[in-house]
Amino acid sequence: MSERKLHPAVAGAQPMYRAENDPDAPLFEGAYKQRFDDILTRYPDKRAAILPVLAMCQELRGWISSETIERVAELLDLTPAYVLSITSFYTMFRPQPVGKYLIQVCTSIGCDLCGAENVVEKLLAATGTRTGEISEDGLYTVIEVECLGACGFATVVQVNERVYESVKTETVTRLLEELR
Amino acid sequence: MADASSTQKVTIDGHEVMVPPGTTILDAAERVGVVLPRYCYHPGLSAPALCRMCLVEVEGAPKLLPSCVQQVQDDMVVHTTSADARKARRAVIEFLLVNHPLDCPICDAAGQCELQDYAFETGQLHTRVTDPKMVLGRDNVTPEIVYFGDRCILCTRCVRFMDEVAQEPVLQVVQRGHKGYIDTMTGDLFEHAFSMNIVDVCPVGALVNEDFLFKARAWDLDQAPSICPGCSQGCNISLGTKENQIRRAKPRPNMEVNSYWMCDEGRKTVVNWGSGDRLEVPMLKGDSLLPVDWQRALSALTEALRGEPGAARGVASAGASNEALYILRRLMEVAGFDGGYFAVPMAEEHVLAGFPKLALRSERVPNARGAELFGFERSDDPYAEVASHTGALFVLDDPLDGAPEGFGASAAIFVYLGTRLSPAARRADIVIPVTTFAEMEGTFTNFQGRVQRFAPALQPPGLARPLWMSGSATLERLGTGSAYRSAAETFAALAGDYEEFDGLTYESIGPGGSLIASARTQTARAG
Amino acid sequence: MAYPHSHPRETRILSEHFGEIEATTLDGWIERGGYKAVEKALGSMSREQVIEVVKESGLRGRGGAGFPTGLKWSFMPKDDTLPHYLVCNADESEPGTFKDREIMRWTPHQLLEGCIIGSYAIGASHCYIYIRGEFVDVIPVVNQAVVDAYSRGYLGRDILGSGYSLELTVHLGAGAYIAGEETGMLNSLEGRRAEPRIKPPFPAAKGAFGMPTTVNNVESLAVVPHIVTNGGDWYRQWGTEKSSGTKLFSCCGHLQKPGTYEIAMDFNLKDLLYDLCGGPPEGREFKAVIPGGSSVPILAADELDAECSYEGLEAAGSMVGSGGLIAMDDSTNMVHAVRRMVEFYAHESCGQCTQCREGTYWAAKILRRIERGGGREEDIPLLLDISANMAGKTICVLSDSAAAPIVSSIQKFQDDYMALIAKGQHAAVGT
Ligand SMILES: Cc1cc2nc3c(=O)[nH]c(=O)nc-3n(C[C@H](O)[C@H](O)[C@H](O)COP(=O)(O)O)c2cc1C
Ligand code: SF4
Ligand code: SF4
Ligand code: FES
Ligand code: FES
Repeated sequence: MSERKLHPAVAGAQPMYRAENDPDAPLFEGAYKQRFDDILTRYPDKRAAILPVLAMCQELRGWISSETIERVAELLDLTPAYVLSITSFYTMFRPQPVGKYLIQVCTSIGCDLCGAENVVEKLLAATGTRTGEISEDGLYTVIEVECLGACGFATVVQVNERVYESVKTETVTRLLEELR
Repeated sequence: MADASSTQKVTIDGHEVMVPPGTTILDAAERVGVVLPRYCYHPGLSAPALCRMCLVEVEGAPKLLPSCVQQVQDDMVVHTTSADARKARRAVIEFLLVNHPLDCPICDAAGQCELQDYAFETGQLHTRVTDPKMVLGRDNVTPEIVYFGDRCILCTRCVRFMDEVAQEPVLQVVQRGHKGYIDTMTGDLFEHAFSMNIVDVCPVGALVNEDFLFKARAWDLDQAPSICPGCSQGCNISLGTKENQIRRAKPRPNMEVNSYWMCDEGRKTVVNWGSGDRLEVPMLKGDSLLPVDWQRALSALTEALRGEPGAARGVASAGASNEALYILRRLMEVAGFDGGYFAVPMAEEHVLAGFPKLALRSERVPNARGAELFGFERSDDPYAEVASHTGALFVLDDPLDGAPEGFGASAAIFVYLGTRLSPAARRADIVIPVTTFAEMEGTFTNFQGRVQRFAPALQPPGLARPLWMSGSATLERLGTGSAYRSAAETFAALAGDYEEFDGLTYESIGPGGSLIASARTQTARAG
Repeated sequence: MAYPHSHPRETRILSEHFGEIEATTLDGWIERGGYKAVEKALGSMSREQVIEVVKESGLRGRGGAGFPTGLKWSFMPKDDTLPHYLVCNADESEPGTFKDREIMRWTPHQLLEGCIIGSYAIGASHCYIYIRGEFVDVIPVVNQAVVDAYSRGYLGRDILGSGYSLELTVHLGAGAYIAGEETGMLNSLEGRRAEPRIKPPFPAAKGAFGMPTTVNNVESLAVVPHIVTNGGDWYRQWGTEKSSGTKLFSCCGHLQKPGTYEIAMDFNLKDLLYDLCGGPPEGREFKAVIPGGSSVPILAADELDAECSYEGLEAAGSMVGSGGLIAMDDSTNMVHAVRRMVEFYAHESCGQCTQCREGTYWAAKILRRIERGGGREEDIPLLLDISANMAGKTICVLSDSAAAPIVSSIQKFQDDYMALIAKGQHAAVGT
């Protein structure tokens, strides 16, 4: 947890996937309250804080529950339906909990050409899951995503706040071991 | 006022028209009688130009342009039925049908569905879509309104109504792309005093009022322009009737009063208005109250008034029309007007935030202002004002529910002009059946002082007739006036007698209504 | 050096320090001549002079549309009292495109310099760098650069005593390609769904929070300090009259040496493919190349002898787009490749426009069916007709982008379609 005070210019720009999240973590307390206040100072309008604020909630709790939606709506003077329309538009917000390691495999054209589908298969087999499921040990969720913007390093796999470039079926096992 | 130099010449499908700058192609087209198909555009809402149904060809433009937002330019030449424009339109319909269930035979909107209309027009209800469709199903969004996701074309009119007009953005597009649908927050129902407007704005049958669901097909309804009797706002409405009953009300646009909207309560109020046990024949008291024909009833009324019964007091309903109140006043004047009273039921006011001119007014009667103009007084307890009156006693269109024991017993003559025969009304000497607003032509004066006309939507029951008819016939017999042949003629007489109405006629009031004199000067001063 | 590979035939302006970890730090950047351009612009040039030199350079927007950057800046109101905004478009999400990522992760200060100078030129009081949220490895680098720039007075009040003040905020996207479209980005920045807006009004009149705004791509901004330092003519020494300077091409797919290369804009596409990128994998040949991100038409192997300028690639039948080159060798089934691309657009369509929302979905469904052996001959004209109905009719050009690969693949690789259709029919007969 970053207890170090963040510069307000970047207070809303922290990675939103972390392994050490806690679904019951209190929202908007301590350093997070400070960040919330700092984020608001960066925009002329409260509504604009919605993406950074939601990201901060996901960073803490790992997903966006309806309770989170209601809290955010209340804090930003929006309706819960509005917040839901936002969380459901932007695909990085998770509508349900995921494993400790959220493994996102790019299967867009650049990675697809280089065998992304096989990487997905290998990852699913190695974690014993189906797409989107949490593995039995609670550690992994594997999903396919669209282009991660690193296409020259296919296949691109993002695990929480880390990017793994040039993943091949042969390196999948090592990748998973490295995570533990 | 736009002068000639600031108007612009547009040619639409060969018709030239001059319009002020800023006019959209869609509006300009309407002026030459070309109605462009549209889904997302609604004149009472912002225009996001997203359905792309209204695309037209403009000479010199590289692409087809959305006519609902594209403003005209001088010398613009527009083709709404060029091959490209027609192909684009057909394509939009085809795209919309990609995921449409095509359940028109059981859809509540069938007959007033813009998707169905245009699909017929472009001749394509069978499609090239052979791949399986997504299924979304149905879901309530309010306790009374159901959302059919498969029929929704994501025009966002309902979303914009709640956001911009109701200013409670509780309906939203959830998800994105082809997965998008309309939702509150999952599972939550919302309630809003004006919620049913979302059913009206929905161009297809995706939002449906459950009360109306499957009860009557839209094309089965007869329509009549009317004024909502629910409160003193006087929303302009259209009454949908079937089998001589009111089945529903929809708002009629009037920018001065209700824009394109009306409240939910008004809709519920008018349904079945005036049905049930009605007073259908004139009656006279002999040993008991007995039906008579009109001749005998009017003679009896004439006699009674000639017989100098003593000054007249009365209770009127502020739901009666201007014409009825005027005639009542004149009948009472024959005996000497000694005071008339009306009650105003009050309830919570609900202002429509995005169009605050419109509110479900706390005065839940349509014509309190009119009643006042004819010299009637509002009273918390109108019955008490007249209960022990000893002269002539008149009651107009007030069912006398809750009138005290022995109401009217001391009156020299008790005349009951009404639609319902309650136990208290049974004590009357003369009973005259009148019509409801829905069964006659007439006017109300709303809280602003706007006189607005309504047309008959139903046949009156039995021998019931508008009071202007029976009352003016009586006045003729009394030699104090002539029998009027129409509501319009009655109104002309009224306008001659009351300064506030001076100069107004049915014709000049027209479909939009007109302000009474004092309200005119007031708005002139304010503006 | 370029990254991860470099080649002597590159012209390295933007990419000179790619791969040098020290260049990411403020001190490292200053050692490499950093922030001189900021000092020059803010210290000795007027707003108009900055716009003028960028106009002279002929720089065209690198985000995809190729609109002249200086001209865009000149649309911003001059004498109003409203707050102005610069929004740096770092949403880079178009399949095949990963050049902005390299700029940000190796030379974040190069981008900040561009943001500061650009903000100054358009009179912005606040600059937002809108980075796609998925760039988890890039974001900390940019964040650090911003914090450092603030601490040395390159950002904040009265920058370097010039009297000019600028706030800069890093704003993250949260998973939406359409947020890269400039008006979608403005909506997203305002906390709305990233749904593109109808134009007019254009952002320069009514942009972020209703105020005059300019949206610029990362690469467009990052090159500005070089132009300010060296002048417009210097930049024009590369490229052509209509396409001056250098451009980053991020190259991926079936290549020996995929990566980001910086070339003069008159460079030959074939040379880029064979020389810089090392050609197709061993024993393979190119079948198709998309030169500018998945939104531009596909070129067949015999169309690759083209100049990488805006006009050159257009003449060849495609576009520069974002410079995201995707190479496909002869092992590629084009129906499969196009299906993946169209699925991307179906997934990313914001869903406002009927044609785009339904068309992307419908076309993807047909392509999937063909790929699985359920194709029919009528699918070919149907796909072409759907594409025609999708193109040129919507609020933004995502719809056109989805149609482009369908049309060009049918035009150029119909055999791939017919083979799958025939195979499917045989299979059906056989069972
Ligand atoms: C669907 C779509 C996606 C886009 N995505 C990006 C993007 O990720 N990055 C970008 O810089 N421009 C993107 N653009 C282009 C922007 O709309 C805009 O033209 C650009 O940011 C302007 O900057 P420039 O003038 O510096 O190129 C996209 C456009 C469309 C239609
Ligand atoms: S429910 Fe009706 S009004 Fe609402 S978006 Fe769907 S089609 Fe439009
Ligand atoms: S073309 Fe597609 S992405 Fe663009 S605004 Fe329309 S629906 Fe949205
Ligand atoms: S295609 Fe996989 S990162 Fe772009
Ligand atoms: S009516 Fe014009 S785009 Fe929908």
